[in-house]
Amino acid sequence: MVVKEFIEARWKAIIGGVVAVLCAASLAGTYNLIKNLLAGQLTGNAAQQIPSQLQGTIQQLTGSYDGYVWSQWFSKNGPEILAILAAVLGASLIANEVNKGTIFFLLSKPVSRGRVLLTKYLVSTFILLGVMVLSGIALLVAAAIVGHPQNVGGVLISTVLLWLGILFVLGLALLFSVLFHDVLRPLIFSLLLTLLLSIPGFIPNATLNDWSLTFYWSDFAAYQGTMFPLKALLICLIAALVPVVLAIVLFRKQAY
Amino acid sequence: MEAANQPGADSKTEAAIELLNLEVKYGEHLAVNRLSLTVPKGAIFGFLGPNGAGKTTTIKTMLGLRKPDGGNVRVLGYDAVTQSLEVRARVGYMSEINSLYDFLTIPQHCAFCRSVSTQWDQKIVDRYVSLFGLSTNRKVGTFSKGMKSQLALSLLMGSNPELLILDEPTAGLDPVARHEVLNHLVAEIAAQGKTIFFSSHILSEVEAVADWVGIIREGRLLVCDELDHLKQTQKVLKLTYVELPPTSEVTALRGLGGVMSLEQEGRSVRLLTHGDVGSLSQTIQARPYALRDVDIVNLDLEDLFLAYMKEESNGREGVH
Repeated sequence: MVVKEFIEARWKAIIGGVVAVLCAASLAGTYNLIKNLLAGQLTGNAAQQIPSQLQGTIQQLTGSYDGYVWSQWFSKNGPEILAILAAVLGASLIANEVNKGTIFFLLSKPVSRGRVLLTKYLVSTFILLGVMVLSGIALLVAAAIVGHPQNVGGVLISTVLLWLGILFVLGLALLFSVLFHDVLRPLIFSLLLTLLLSIPGFIPNATLNDWSLTFYWSDFAAYQGTMFPLKALLICLIAALVPVVLAIVLFRKQAY
Repeated sequence: MEAANQPGADSKTEAAIELLNLEVKYGEHLAVNRLSLTVPKGAIFGFLGPNGAGKTTTIKTMLGLRKPDGGNVRVLGYDAVTQSLEVRARVGYMSEINSLYDFLTIPQHCAFCRSVSTQWDQKIVDRYVSLFGLSTNRKVGTFSKGMKSQLALSLLMGSNPELLILDEPTAGLDPVARHEVLNHLVAEIAAQGKTIFFSSHILSEVEAVADWVGIIREGRLLVCDELDHLKQTQKVLKLTYVELPPTSEVTALRGLGGVMSLEQEGRSVRLLTHGDVGSLSQTIQARPYALRDVDIVNLDLEDLFLAYMKEESNGREGVH
């Protein structure tokens, strides 16, 4: 059953993996290029046309290699790419079986629905972990090549944290996949809900930030290795478990 | 109208499937309405009915894919609701729609089935796959409908099920593929003493294979009996009167014991009868209206099926 799930998800995993690895490596490897490009913009005549607030953001962004890599991969592009991959993987887990009629073949076998769902979910979690670990390795290698070796522990803990956060998106997509019998609606609804729940994190307000999952799954202090993000890990873990538990309960009751 | 014969009520044969007052609803719509039937072990049971009659819903309930809204379902002695894993461990199910994975090859399907079955005999599957001449290195998505059905049947046999539940197993197959599937059903599987419960609306194939039949319409069982017994006891009595019989006589005929339904076309009256047609014929001939001809006609399954469908329609019209 595990093999079948891996075979079914192989193209999504390969495409998602290639995109993530290329993105992580290029972000880590092009820091100097981006920095010089933006610095040039700030020193020329064009600098007068750039608002001072944006100039501040550019300086902050290119101020340190660690900050740039973390903000661009673990806080921005990584979560976006991986959330889409998680939604694509999760949305098809049950809905695709129903849509293609294979759900009857699957559920007529002597395995509990809980086992069916958990096997599918766990395979997707491993795919996501694999993609993230590969992206982390690509980031470390690219950073080392351009002369900015990164803290391996920081990359590792940030990867785990982001993985747990992304499992929430996977769980949501799985939950919607149980509820709807087509793949599109679980995909759209899980991404929309994730986006909705991320909004408090975009607002510069500490209280609101506390209610955003994105705030927890991308922790700069954890990346720098200055703090172990226990609270963030626990919150991401609980958030990841809630939709899965709900999906199992619903799947057990669902009639096909 | 209740089923003409419900063998579960007094049958002493060990049952493979027992449904008692089964009710299944889709929202407010009653898809299966107080359905009771018993399928004896070792039987080849043809479950007949028009599209939307409730055949697939009944099958899904037997497998625990749907929970009944009322009544009991026991399969091989296990409760289909509370012991559905036990049921599914002993039952091989083939659905009406193509339910195999297009992206897997035959060996990958075998590996998948082995991982989710309580027992697995690869030799049996290999034998059937070779018997059907299926290519093992191609993805199932490239197979024709007939090949997919043959593979589904081969995979079913791998788990050595005591009971095979086949939902429209030959739907969409050409006559050659249909013949091959049915031929193997009878020659191989039934010879092993396994019970086969299959739904179909292709009456000729049911007649060729089944020894028991159940006819369902709008969720209600119209008849359930051994096919031979059904054919012996249900016949058509064709009466041709010398003169047009009066309405009172037609009404009287309709009320005679053993008359299930009546059709009149001028001086000809066609009675679908149940039971001793000989004595019924004598009773009618003793009535005061002269008959030119009396003919007892044997029915094939198609006639029986159509007669039950017609009788049910007439019955409902009568009620309304």
